[in-house]
Amino acid sequence: MKWGVRHVVDARGSFCPGPITELIKAYRKAQPGDEIELLATDPAAKSDVAAWAAKSKNEIVEMREEQGYIKIVIRVASKGG
Amino acid sequence: MRRIAIIGAGTGGTILANALAKKLRTEVRGGRLEIVVFDGSESHIYQPGNIDIAFRGANPKAFRRPPTQLLSREVKLLKSPVSRIDLENRAVIYDGGAKMGYDYLVVATGSIAAPEIIPGLAQASLNFHRSQEDAVRVWEALSAFRRGRIVVLPALPHKCPPSPVEAVFLIDELMRKRSIRKDVEIIYATPYTRAYPAHGIADVVEPEMEKRGITTYTLFNIDYVDPAAKKVYSLEGEELAYDLLIAIPPHRGADVVIASGIGGEEGWIPTDKHTLKIKGHDDAYAIGDATDIPISKSGVVAHLEAITTAESITSQIHGTGKVYLYNGRINCPLEMGGRKAVFVSGTYVKQPERQNPSTTKYLMKRLFNRLYWTMLSGALEPIFNIYLGPPYEVKVVADDANKSP
Repeated sequence: MKWGVRHVVDARGSFCPGPITELIKAYRKAQPGDEIELLATDPAAKSDVAAWAAKSKNEIVEMREEQGYIKIVIRVASKGG
Repeated sequence: MRRIAIIGAGTGGTILANALAKKLRTEVRGGRLEIVVFDGSESHIYQPGNIDIAFRGANPKAFRRPPTQLLSREVKLLKSPVSRIDLENRAVIYDGGAKMGYDYLVVATGSIAAPEIIPGLAQASLNFHRSQEDAVRVWEALSAFRRGRIVVLPALPHKCPPSPVEAVFLIDELMRKRSIRKDVEIIYATPYTRAYPAHGIADVVEPEMEKRGITTYTLFNIDYVDPAAKKVYSLEGEELAYDLLIAIPPHRGADVVIASGIGGEEGWIPTDKHTLKIKGHDDAYAIGDATDIPISKSGVVAHLEAITTAESITSQIHGTGKVYLYNGRINCPLEMGGRKAVFVSGTYVKQPERQNPSTTKYLMKRLFNRLYWTMLSGALEPIFNIYLGPPYEVKVVADDANKSP
């Protein structure tokens, strides 16, 4: 797999409609091998993104609490499931 | 003479223009200030009315009025489409080449439902977000539907987060009224992990869907539709067959924003989520659906951002040194059928919480449908302020950065 670009998605301060909206916007543009770095303050982002990554067969390479927000990095392994 | 230019006379642009006219009446009447609104539309549409048109067969005429009836007499309406916004030279290009300078600009150009973004979606689906005519087509299709599977499918990003769930509940209600519910399968395929993005609201919505026999598919982000096979495919690798597909299409920003190069390829304008200023500009604001702020695209947000921006521009003109910072308040009604509703309420720092559906909230939503036209004038703001408080915080800046240029 080739290593691609990193798309940074800042969804901090978003509860409704939520970080998944911003993540999917980035995912549509991304290519296999790219990484999406999602920053979020909604605590539900962790479980939401984990569920989405599992279903869409993409890989979470980093998920950690920073000061006042969550950083999640997803490597795009798959498009179309 | 100074000039405030507002592009768009939808909910945000109209409320803003009327609020500025009230606050700056002395300047306008004294010939020292002009408030100009650009909008080429024949009608101002009350967009939540599309729910009533699509799922109750309401008459579209009840939800539209000419913009001229809705704007204060201190506001000058130019019924000309704007072709370009030139932020660097503080100018608006309109009417095929005419140029008008401004001292302050507000872009309130809204968003456009664009099913053509997803392959096959425009041919395969109906929707109630693009226009009143589209909403009428949904009502006609539902009225003719006898048996089979209806799939309701939102695509991101879209305006009015409650609207897909409202559609599902009202389709269920309609099919029960027609005594054909047992012959109709209703499927809700959502892009989120739950039936509603805010978990507190999902806790309320999901048991009701289950009780009414509505099947939910989660994490279904539409990739493409095959209209011939009547199947829709997701980015996550699933497929769903349908007999009637009602989509909430992905939205994009206005053509003029894209053509002016101020909102990227999708047309969302980079905007500070508190000051509502277009990033990098002290004299230009964006409000409502037009911005890239990670908040719901809804009339409520456009309204509250308009109120905040009216305060900010007035402060800049009067040189008070006060900065008004939008707090991200949302307060969106979500109708659940059976004369019940909840309100999705939160701010940038407080997520929407679980609440019980009630008939009172449903009646409040119905009442608001009637009060909308009065609300545009600003006449209800004192009441909103008493019950909800202002949608902003006020800060006094130490230097003259926010004072009159």
